[in-house]
Amino acid sequence: MQKKKKAYKGAGRATDFLITIPGFLLYSFLFMVPVCMGFYYSLTDWNGVSKNYNFVGIQNYIKLFSDSRFLGSLGFTVKYTVLLIIGVVVISLTTALILNSKIRCGDFFRSMFFFPAVLSLMTVGLIFKEIYYRAVPLIGEWLNIEVLKTNILSNPDLAIYGILFANIWTASAIPMVLFYAGLKNVPMDLYEAASIDGATFWQKFKSITVPYILPTFSMVFILQLKAGLGVFDYIMALTGGGPGGATESIGTLIYKGAFEERRFGYAVAESIVLLVMIAAISLIQVKMTQNKEVNE
Amino acid sequence: MKKYVCNSVKYIYLFLGCLLIALPLYLTIANAMKTPQQLSQNFFALPESFYLNNFAEVISKANFFRYAFNSVFITVVGVALIQIIVPFTAFPIARRMGTEPYFKFLFYFITIGIFVPFEVKMLPLVKLMSSIHMLNPIGLILLYACGALCQDIFLMVGYIKTIPRDMEEASAIDGCNRIQTIWKIAFPIMKPMLATLLIKDTLWIWNDFMMPLLILNVSDKYWTLPLFQYNFKGTYSVDFTLAFAAFSLSIIPMMLVFIFAQKKIMGGLTTGAVKS
Repeated sequence: MQKKKKAYKGAGRATDFLITIPGFLLYSFLFMVPVCMGFYYSLTDWNGVSKNYNFVGIQNYIKLFSDSRFLGSLGFTVKYTVLLIIGVVVISLTTALILNSKIRCGDFFRSMFFFPAVLSLMTVGLIFKEIYYRAVPLIGEWLNIEVLKTNILSNPDLAIYGILFANIWTASAIPMVLFYAGLKNVPMDLYEAASIDGATFWQKFKSITVPYILPTFSMVFILQLKAGLGVFDYIMALTGGGPGGATESIGTLIYKGAFEERRFGYAVAESIVLLVMIAAISLIQVKMTQNKEVNE
Repeated sequence: MKKYVCNSVKYIYLFLGCLLIALPLYLTIANAMKTPQQLSQNFFALPESFYLNNFAEVISKANFFRYAFNSVFITVVGVALIQIIVPFTAFPIARRMGTEPYFKFLFYFITIGIFVPFEVKMLPLVKLMSSIHMLNPIGLILLYACGALCQDIFLMVGYIKTIPRDMEEASAIDGCNRIQTIWKIAFPIMKPMLATLLIKDTLWIWNDFMMPLLILNVSDKYWTLPLFQYNFKGTYSVDFTLAFAAFSLSIIPMMLVFIFAQKKIMGGLTTGAVKS
């Protein structure tokens, strides 16, 4: 028996190696090569079209941190991401908690709240653009709310909330079903035991629910972090970065910089800063939650 | 009494939520069935009749079926390719990464991509694809297959590791070669996770806007539906009811698919994700 097991371990080793080759090549060529090219271009002053360019070292990076446009869009993107994560987590978790309690028509509500997940971000963005333009001012007149009377997307202070609302509208759907499934894993007898011991709702939530949904939370956090810091579709659909650059995210800045303003090397340097931010925050987050999860 | 209040709050929350979700969809579809005059008179009213001219115009004027076909083609072929590559890559990794350095390296090499935002590779990717003349649907499909690998391999490897290897070992002892083992034993085992990835990747590719914008915007014969919607808003800005018709044409098929497959979609997305 022992001998056969050993034979099995060796068997098909070559096959195993061969069948991973297509994935390996595809990934190397279309993922790692562009990332490495990106690092290299970020050290040059290439405009994206010309044949010649100069190697400028870390000059692009130095320039970035005194570029008010980049810093402005960085500020916008960070604010946007923080609000997006808070909005998505609060709404999806609240909804999941309510759906997980004893309510009628739970299946219907769950389907309803999940539906936005299947729609394209571009379509949703364009629909909300029309709604902010045509419907919201009417509602503002009707309820006599001053800020809603004009198109909020043309107001530099409020446009961010218009974009966020549309984004949270779709982005909460999948986290909601994930949290819902996570809550189903919590053993009911823990709650019963806690109730007998006289725990309040908040105590039960903190000591029983949170440890169980922490892995789901980590995943939702990282996915929304990436979505928020890279936000592109909604901005292109809703404001295009306006009014007056008030909603310029790093994503749209990179796109415009490279394809409209011909600052290719510089735009790639901007994207590398984004990568470092995402990697650093994800790493901290993973380290922080690692020890607190329930190990099953 | 307290319980009564608590329950009312819950239902108010749920109803308001439903209203917020349904209203934009209702407005889109209702206004797609109005003339521009009717729309400016009352944006919120139900359409007066079952007026379908806007739809007909979008479909005939804008070459809609061509874009729909492009979207279907790219989604189907892209997802099929992912469904072949992922199991063949993930299975050997999951079974051998504990003992053999190559497979361990491959796992980390691929999954580290989860942290890389698309923006980082987007610009060099366009240069790379144009230099090998791949700014077309085939190039886009390869990019999707590649872009899906990071997360899909991560999920699939995690899933395979939870399954004991007894069956594979038994089949090897009974004389199956490795390909037979993978085909007959491993594939059926991987099916639940493959279904999850199928749903996740279909939604992603069907709805994606940024990659088609970068790779396919060179010619309007390659446009996908999201790209068409984006470009359409400029062309017909005067006749705005047409825009609503175009939005509805993208929402309604998804609604139908959702009504018939909602249990599968929601179930699929959670089985895969919660474990990881």
